[in-house]
Amino acid sequence: MDYLISGFVKGLGLLISKDASTWSAVGATLQASTASMAVSLAAGLPCGFLLGYYDFPWKRALRTVVDTLLALPTVCVGLLIYALISSRGPFGAYDLLFTVSGIAAGQAILAFPIVTAITASIIESIDANLKLTLVSLGAGKKDILATCLWEVRYGILAAAVTAYGRVLTEVGISMMVGGNIKYHTRTITTAIALETNKGMFADGIALGLVLMTIALAVNVSLAFLRKR
Amino acid sequence: MLTKKRVSVLAAGLCLMMMAGVALAGSGKSLMMATTTSTDNTGLLDELIPHFEKETGIALKWTATGTGKALKLGQNCDVDVLLVHAPPAEKAYIKNGFGKDRRQIMYNDFVIIGPKADPAGITGKDISAALTAIKARGERFISRGDDSGTNKKEKLLWKSAGIPLPDQEAWYVQTGQGMLATINVAQEKKGYTMTDRGTYIKYQDQQGGHAPLTVLVEGDAILLNQYAVLTLDPKNCPHAKYELAKTFSDWMASDSAQKKISEFRLLGQKLFIPNAN
Amino acid sequence: MGDIYQLKQVCHFYGSKKILDIEQMTISRGSILGISGANGSGKSTLLKLLAFAMAPAQGQIRFNGRPEAPMSPRVRSRVTLLTQTPYLLKRSVLDNVTYGLKVRNQTDHLQERAADALIAVGLDPQGFSGRMWHELSGGEAQRVAMAARLVLKPEALLLDEPVASVDTQSAALIRQASLAARDSWGCTLIIVSHDLSWLHEVSDTRISMADGKIFSTGKESIIPGPYARDNHGHMVRFLDDGSEIRLSDPFLPEHTANPTAVIQKEKLYLYPAMDTNGDRVNRLPARITQMLLEQKTGRILTTMDLKGFTLCLSVTANQAAQLDLVPGKQIILVFSPEDVDWR
Repeated sequence: MDYLISGFVKGLGLLISKDASTWSAVGATLQASTASMAVSLAAGLPCGFLLGYYDFPWKRALRTVVDTLLALPTVCVGLLIYALISSRGPFGAYDLLFTVSGIAAGQAILAFPIVTAITASIIESIDANLKLTLVSLGAGKKDILATCLWEVRYGILAAAVTAYGRVLTEVGISMMVGGNIKYHTRTITTAIALETNKGMFADGIALGLVLMTIALAVNVSLAFLRKR
Repeated sequence: MLTKKRVSVLAAGLCLMMMAGVALAGSGKSLMMATTTSTDNTGLLDELIPHFEKETGIALKWTATGTGKALKLGQNCDVDVLLVHAPPAEKAYIKNGFGKDRRQIMYNDFVIIGPKADPAGITGKDISAALTAIKARGERFISRGDDSGTNKKEKLLWKSAGIPLPDQEAWYVQTGQGMLATINVAQEKKGYTMTDRGTYIKYQDQQGGHAPLTVLVEGDAILLNQYAVLTLDPKNCPHAKYELAKTFSDWMASDSAQKKISEFRLLGQKLFIPNAN
Repeated sequence: MGDIYQLKQVCHFYGSKKILDIEQMTISRGSILGISGANGSGKSTLLKLLAFAMAPAQGQIRFNGRPEAPMSPRVRSRVTLLTQTPYLLKRSVLDNVTYGLKVRNQTDHLQERAADALIAVGLDPQGFSGRMWHELSGGEAQRVAMAARLVLKPEALLLDEPVASVDTQSAALIRQASLAARDSWGCTLIIVSHDLSWLHEVSDTRISMADGKIFSTGKESIIPGPYARDNHGHMVRFLDDGSEIRLSDPFLPEHTANPTAVIQKEKLYLYPAMDTNGDRVNRLPARITQMLLEQKTGRILTTMDLKGFTLCLSVTANQAAQLDLVPGKQIILVFSPEDVDWR
């Protein structure tokens, strides 16, 4: 129990200090999560829109598949990515293994179904009056698409925050694909895993605190975007 | 409120963050190594490698996994060089055309640790007698169970004691995890386990020298733990940086490195004994 | 002037239920059409079809002489619909009003055109342009929605209960603005409303709807369903207290689904409550609920409640005086079952 308290105190210390390994882990975490979020939003928003807006014969089945992908275990995604970017894999030439870019790729795959499923739900629950209003005002197909997405921007922001939370805290992909290399691909989460594996529980808690601080900082900056 | 202006500011900020990351990626000579968790956990590499980088100008990055995975990474050509401690597996590796050169660097030994009370009464016995006693009394034995170098050694000990691997026995606990984690499980369960001395010293160091588990059996010849650097066979991995890997191998065997290995202490104790001569 | 709308054999379904069934209908350009009817009678569906927000399951709707479909460029921005509850985009008032113009790339003099539209609905451009969608009252929001449509100077303005959910001041301003549109650029107005007095005051033509069908209000009254057969096999309509209205036997062409009973208004007679005279079969106690002056004709539109549905009759001032009709008074409504027609 005492490691909880000592861990908390240590965590505060890490935040104020200039401990190089901690800050490098923070940097790796932020880079990977930001890049993966950008990609998953760019791909997931249009897919979610299409899935929610249009009716087609196998819509229900596809929706079920996407919802199931929400439960993807991170280690499995990690294994999949490793197989793809390993030297012997199809994308081996790009040297993505043991890099932050590789981690970002895996995390993008993790976040994609979250963004898609939530966006589809949001689009499906759009007030019918919105489309009626837009048609009344003379909007064409493209305008309707763009305006609909902008109108539900707060819901989409929530989708992004949810996906970001999942990506920020995952270990499986970062470990398998990144290799937990100190100063390079050691993220906060893999650092926590390492320390707890070594029995250094207090250090694990300390790093956990650092991670929560990052999450808090991100959410605070997103809060100023929210409707007052 | 989410206005278009604020979204553009946010997007710009995110782009900057990502570009900063990309910019930091350096260039120059670099080498990728796979090693084991036991080696990494002692902290030796954190001490040693900066000297290598300063003296040779090669940036060495390493990932610590189980021995099995490290060998697999080499086989898949995902790394350039290996630092492991599983001599039979290493020799087979070279025979199978995955490894090229093997060079001994340092050794320490394995020990059996357990609670000071020693319920199975193994203190001072030789390894076969100790294991026999543990089995006879049904006292808990914690194994790594992960086919790592350490685990392979442990299985070898059971074999040489004439005991079939107690895989399904209730008192035989397989954690599937690294050495320190496994020692911690042994501590929790007040059981016995086999560990390399280096990790044991690290474990003691973590607990300020007052850890509840202590060395009970040591010294048998079979308990030798030999570390070696393995370069990869260019025929299997044409893109592996063979020359740089050889440089690393040579450096680890050099007098200065060997001296530093010898000087690496925790709690005043030597963790590794250099033997590259 | 020509017809702006022509409908031919237009039908629409909700699932398998037919909710609109219009044999033929025309709306002349620049006129004001008032549509009344109970909820579920198909009014909103008709408006949506006229707005080309959706296509009818069957039939053809011609706009300016040409058959058109949703999203047609000839229809976009020429026809606009105002919904019952105000719906604004999540942006400023100014952006809401100018949305339709921007979408058509008509970006010259945006501010001025928006200001004109806001003034037409009684909103001060200076004070309101910058306000956000969530900073408006219901009435103000509906007015902004109206302004967003007026600014497009549409050829047809469809209003679905435009003032049902707003305060009286906003209601007055919206009505005013719609009439101004007609006067200003000859906009055709098609108005659905429960406010019968306004409809009577303002419309050139009035229709009422029931069960997806159109009836011209002037000459007929609708006796709405559900209908049943009594023990003797006669077609009847039961009232809330168990009494029944005898109706004629329907004979209609085979394919007519959901027939509705109607009776010519001149075949309906009013008698004082105490009157026991008369041998006609249907003698129904009724209570007068509303009396409105039809400004155009000088007659009095009298609404009465018959324990299950309401009926409207148009009486002369004399008749009203003779029967001493006032809201709240009980009278007897009399008619013969044979006079009941079926559509």
